[in-house]
Amino acid sequence: MESIDVNCLVGHWPFRKLYHNTFSDLIKAHSENGIVSGYVSSLNSIFYNDPFEGEEELHEVIKNTGYHHVLTINPTLPAFEEDIIRGIKLFNISGVRIYPSYHGYHLDCPQAKQLCEVLRKYNLPLFLTLRMEDERLSYIYQPIPLSIKEIQFFVETNIDIKMLLLNIRFNEIMTLKNILLDAPNILFDTSGLKDQLFNVEKLVAALGDKKMVYGSLYPLFCLKSTLFEVTKAQISTQSMERILFRNSRQNIV
Amino acid sequence: MLIDIHAHLWNNKFKENKTEILKACEHYNIDKVYISSLGDQFPTEDEITKSNDETYKFMCEVPSLIGGFCYINPNHSSSLDALKKGIEDYNMSGMKLWIATYCDDPKVFPLVEKCIDYKVPILIHTFHKAIRHLEFESQGIHVAHLAKKYPEAKILMAHLGANCHREIKPIINFKNVSVDISGTIFRRDDVDYTKKLIGPERILFGSDMPGASFLVNYGQVEEANLTHREKELVYYKNAIKLLERS
Repeated sequence: MESIDVNCLVGHWPFRKLYHNTFSDLIKAHSENGIVSGYVSSLNSIFYNDPFEGEEELHEVIKNTGYHHVLTINPTLPAFEEDIIRGIKLFNISGVRIYPSYHGYHLDCPQAKQLCEVLRKYNLPLFLTLRMEDERLSYIYQPIPLSIKEIQFFVETNIDIKMLLLNIRFNEIMTLKNILLDAPNILFDTSGLKDQLFNVEKLVAALGDKKMVYGSLYPLFCLKSTLFEVTKAQISTQSMERILFRNSRQNIV
Repeated sequence: MLIDIHAHLWNNKFKENKTEILKACEHYNIDKVYISSLGDQFPTEDEITKSNDETYKFMCEVPSLIGGFCYINPNHSSSLDALKKGIEDYNMSGMKLWIATYCDDPKVFPLVEKCIDYKVPILIHTFHKAIRHLEFESQGIHVAHLAKKYPEAKILMAHLGANCHREIKPIINFKNVSVDISGTIFRRDDVDYTKKLIGPERILFGSDMPGASFLVNYGQVEEANLTHREKELVYYKNAIKLLERS
């Protein structure tokens, strides 16, 4: 069954060596596992002083491939809107991805509000990264955790924006269940499902199959681990298709 | 063949956990699961008895599928008796240490000596946390101390120590320490990195279910750069060797 990966990256991760971090590695891992396309972001951009330089690198490797470019934005930097405008013009970006935990702001700050206004203006989806690696492993740098309350408030306040919640955990999804069901524009990816058995089965039973999209967080996470969570789930073929590609195809771009 | 060396029943959830574990075995073709029953960080003697009784009950219900590790709180003066009951009466396959003491606490030593006599492995929860680290939660360095003191002990360091880049190095030179991959950490390169440091002969498959997904752990082995022979080692041959009592 074909799949689309809404949460994949290329580049360097400053906290450990990645063995498979080039775009060629990503294509290989995807093709070996039946994944036909992806929404890809630059790991380098998260940590560059000027993130746009990471975007230029990313564009050079993914242009003309069918992969979707998701622009990394730090809204606390001056003139971030200019980067978004240039990203639209130069890279035909499919969305904007943010990392509040790594960029030191909370979702109720004025800059996040300003970002949402820009996203509305250009009708761009927001890829909201709740976390990257498990927080317990980060002994070199401690990301600032996002509370479920601020995520809830942010989602409720910006319910008109297309939004993907990335690397969200099972319990967080269940806490946000009502708002997720009420908000047609909000989806979540599967990369954070790990804390129990039969995650996908339980979520399909609780929320249906229209809110979930497949995402790997590759190359930080094992791609097969995230993929098996969906492909080995005891759910209908129709639900599996929705999670693996129909939901993202219909709702993101 | 697949042996899951690390799974649990949790206090007050025994029935629910058993149902899920059996369902997982059926769906994912697991041949054998080794269980220990856990509850509070500092369980009382009664709680230890109850935990091990629950493990034994599960072993008796499905003997072909379920094996057991005897959970011990080394702070108890009765801990040697609890171990004796687990190994001799309940035919459990090893001892499980969690977070009641560091694994290199002198209170652990008589228990380790008994495990050496029994020729059974010691499964040690090992997890370095940058945040919310628990008092008495063992790390690679504690496991290394124990392994150095008791080179005849068969030690299984759980979870790759959580952050394998930090926790594997202390145990590299102690060939009596193997590791299991179980838990909720499933980073792409952790199994390859661990293989590079200690070789595939010292890596065992475990899931930590039902508090972790079996599939994210299975995916780690399937995706790692392991040959067919190396996968066999990880999935079951290393476990069989570790559990041998001859």
